[in-house]
Amino acid sequence: MFDFIKYKYISICFSTLLIAVGFGVTFGKYGGFATSLDFDGGLRAVVEFPENVERKNLEEYFSSKNLEAVLVLMDKDKNDYQIDIGLGSVDQIKELYVERKGKDSVEAKQASAIDALIGLLQEDFKLEKKKILSANQVGSVVGAELTSTGISLLGLTLFFIMIYLSFRFQFKFALGAILALIHDLVITIAFIGFFQIKPSVPIIAALLTLLGYSINDTIVVFDRIRENAGNLRDTFSQVINLSINQTLSRTFNTSVATLISVVAIIIGGAVELYDFAYVLTFGIILGTFSSVFIAAPLVDIYDTLSKRWKRS
Amino acid sequence: MKSVQWIFVPILVVASSLTLLYPNFAERELELAVRKEFKELPEETRKDVLSSFAERWKTDYNPKGDWQIEPDPSVFPEQDYYLVKGRFITSAKINQLSQENQELILEPKNKLRPTWVEEYIFGGRPLAIRLGLDLQGGMRVVLKGDFDDYTSKLKDSYTKEIEELTRKKGDAALSEKERKEAQDKLKEIESYFELTPSRKLAELEKAKLIIDNRLTNQNLTEPQVRIQKDQDSIEVSLPGVSNSSQILDIIRNTETVEYRLREPSDSNANSRGTYHDAIELEEMKLMNEGRREETEIVKFQNIVKQKLGKDEQDRFLAAMEKKYNIPEKYKLYVKWSRANNPKASLLPREFVVLERAISLDGKDMRNARESYDQNRLSYYVSFSLTSQGAEKFFDITSKNVGRQLAIVWGDKVISDPVIRSPIAGGNAQIDGEFGQKEATDLANVISEGALPIPLNVLEMRFIGPTLGIESIEVGLKAVLLGFALVIVFMLVIYRLSGFVADIALLVNVIVLMALLSLMGFTLTLPGFAGIILTVGMAVDANVIIYERIKEELASGKHVSAAVAQGFDNAFWTIMDSNVTTLISGILMIKLGNGPIKGFAITLCWGIITSLFTSLFLSRMIMDILVNKLGVRKLQIGFKKLESKNV
Repeated sequence: MFDFIKYKYISICFSTLLIAVGFGVTFGKYGGFATSLDFDGGLRAVVEFPENVERKNLEEYFSSKNLEAVLVLMDKDKNDYQIDIGLGSVDQIKELYVERKGKDSVEAKQASAIDALIGLLQEDFKLEKKKILSANQVGSVVGAELTSTGISLLGLTLFFIMIYLSFRFQFKFALGAILALIHDLVITIAFIGFFQIKPSVPIIAALLTLLGYSINDTIVVFDRIRENAGNLRDTFSQVINLSINQTLSRTFNTSVATLISVVAIIIGGAVELYDFAYVLTFGIILGTFSSVFIAAPLVDIYDTLSKRWKRS
Repeated sequence: MKSVQWIFVPILVVASSLTLLYPNFAERELELAVRKEFKELPEETRKDVLSSFAERWKTDYNPKGDWQIEPDPSVFPEQDYYLVKGRFITSAKINQLSQENQELILEPKNKLRPTWVEEYIFGGRPLAIRLGLDLQGGMRVVLKGDFDDYTSKLKDSYTKEIEELTRKKGDAALSEKERKEAQDKLKEIESYFELTPSRKLAELEKAKLIIDNRLTNQNLTEPQVRIQKDQDSIEVSLPGVSNSSQILDIIRNTETVEYRLREPSDSNANSRGTYHDAIELEEMKLMNEGRREETEIVKFQNIVKQKLGKDEQDRFLAAMEKKYNIPEKYKLYVKWSRANNPKASLLPREFVVLERAISLDGKDMRNARESYDQNRLSYYVSFSLTSQGAEKFFDITSKNVGRQLAIVWGDKVISDPVIRSPIAGGNAQIDGEFGQKEATDLANVISEGALPIPLNVLEMRFIGPTLGIESIEVGLKAVLLGFALVIVFMLVIYRLSGFVADIALLVNVIVLMALLSLMGFTLTLPGFAGIILTVGMAVDANVIIYERIKEELASGKHVSAAVAQGFDNAFWTIMDSNVTTLISGILMIKLGNGPIKGFAITLCWGIITSLFTSLFLSRMIMDILVNKLGVRKLQIGFKKLESKNV
């Protein structure tokens, strides 16, 4: 029988280190999370280009200007392209426009980023105004949705789970489960930042899946602890340790089975779902780790502390 | 557990689920309707259209040859449609076919023939699972309501009342009580202009309804219109649509129809006469001097011809109102008409000054229809008025005999007949110099109602149809691969019990999909994610049970006792872990929207189906295996575990 409780501080230190490294790299090296149009907003223009302009020309054009642009061919016959420019390149566009028009030109000073983009495209591709089919400063649809509802959603979810667990178990279990859950989410978000994965709808789905998986995983261990707690010969730490060991093969088998189906997405080559699968693969491993090394040991720490408080 | 007696329950569930899912996998027949007018096109054009359709059919629509079409796309069909047969015909595909071949195919009459399940059991209701835009391709537009514009329009419609009440409020001749009443009423009206979130929502709801109507008239398959409350915006999803601008224009069209009185003959008291006369005088002067290009109307025509947009036009009119000192009470409009010949284009021809107050608006009119006037060789629009509208109309026409009543469509004055006598009865007609299309458009605006709020495009997203179909094919393959691997894994680890778990897993997915298609759920990528998690949870439940049985066997229990005990011990663990996940799922459905909601719905139903399969179905099968079929050895894990007291 492996003594998980003995190494609880090592595992907690390890987690803290992961978080520190993840966010350190995210903000230190990259200056934050990757940007995506869905999440942060940016510029989007739909333009009808002359026939001789091909995707290759456009890609060269944007890379020569050091602009990160995503191109989508919207209408083959008309040569309509949708150009997405993330927030990261917006300042660059304004600078280019000011350079072009001269520092003191009123035109350049008053121009918004989207005006600047249109101005540049019109000049460089000799486009008439009506060839710009649409141009918008795109709001952060998904991002706004998540920041407004996401946090309250998470808070409320945690609250209700806490009530349920306090009712079915004890408060200390509820606390442990919730801390483990927050732990998983935080590290996964650090992971997303570390690898500069672009936030998108599938990423949100992955985070939500992780939430469901992680709770599930933790509860199974807790359930066993509760069952074994009737045994008065052992200390609470021993009970926890025994329970983790008893559920270990279940934890392992389930994780492998779930991992198989997620890894299959990567092997199967569903490019659209790659980010989703990466985040989930990481999340499942992490969820398994946390249910064994974090959640139950945290309950143990709380238990020890609360006993000490009572005594003093 | 008396398993054998209950065996019909899972059999019934699976059978009905499979029936429900049948339309998803069955070969379908699509009637791709053709236009009757196509035959009237010149032969050369017909040939071109047909050959490009045939070409696209081979390269774009059906490169793998999965579908059959009758007759060949290079031939015009004898009956009124091409018959397309095949599996997985998505609405995106149907829309793509229709939109890219508009000269040939008549969208409104396309028909996906119902399968026998839909026809006989569900009375023609379509059952196939709908796919989200991310899975089938299409266009998504988010339109934001412009409430500033809305309020200013609203203020216009109350101009008259406000004026009247303000006068009353300050009128010393009236009693204290009457003045107080006027003041209260004024306050009430002012409160209309403050938009509370619930008012905004109500306006958005109205807009949604009208957009829904307009899209139905476009006969697109499965368009979706949703309100995004927190952003005051409306999201429109159009599967398979790639030619966006035309549909976008139709959605956003905010044109209204209003009646407004022209300024009275003594409106410009200082220079005696009307503001209209003052403008005309200036214009004539310029014309006489041979400076036609400098007249305001020619300048305005140039703005229109260069398509500089409505903002530019509004700015021009505002500048003119200033120049001629037109008071707040009146508003400058432009009358549009054709030059002498009926085929000339509709252009601004004359400035007219109308009262700012709206006499009668679109809300008072209904049932509009366009008709042709043989004598005048032009179209007109006839409509009826609501009872309230009829009263108003009679009131206006009787009080203002001899004045001109202008009909404003959008921002154009299209006619301004003189009121000769009071009009009663509630029927009226609008004569303008209409072509057929204009008359139809006007009739539509009156009948459907105008969009209550102007909408700006906040964002437009486009998912190419080929990308969508590829991504679903690959995604589906990946999920199936994962599923197959999980099944093999369970067989390897748990042998016979693993086989039972696999059956439970299959049933779980079948029942879940059937439930989703019964609910008319739209499956998106996040929904897919929910299904993957469900599979994981279902596997987990079975693993928990088997590990428990293994422990019981290890402690020396008899097989049948170990199975029963294993299920009992696992019960609360499974319940607890599923209920907590269910809690988070329900909260996501209640609070989240869009992707979060889609994910949560599949997850919640998945939990319910997996509880059924793991706690009921698995148990029943295990029970039958152990107690009826006399299986004595359950191999769980690599170590052979047998009960010692067999």
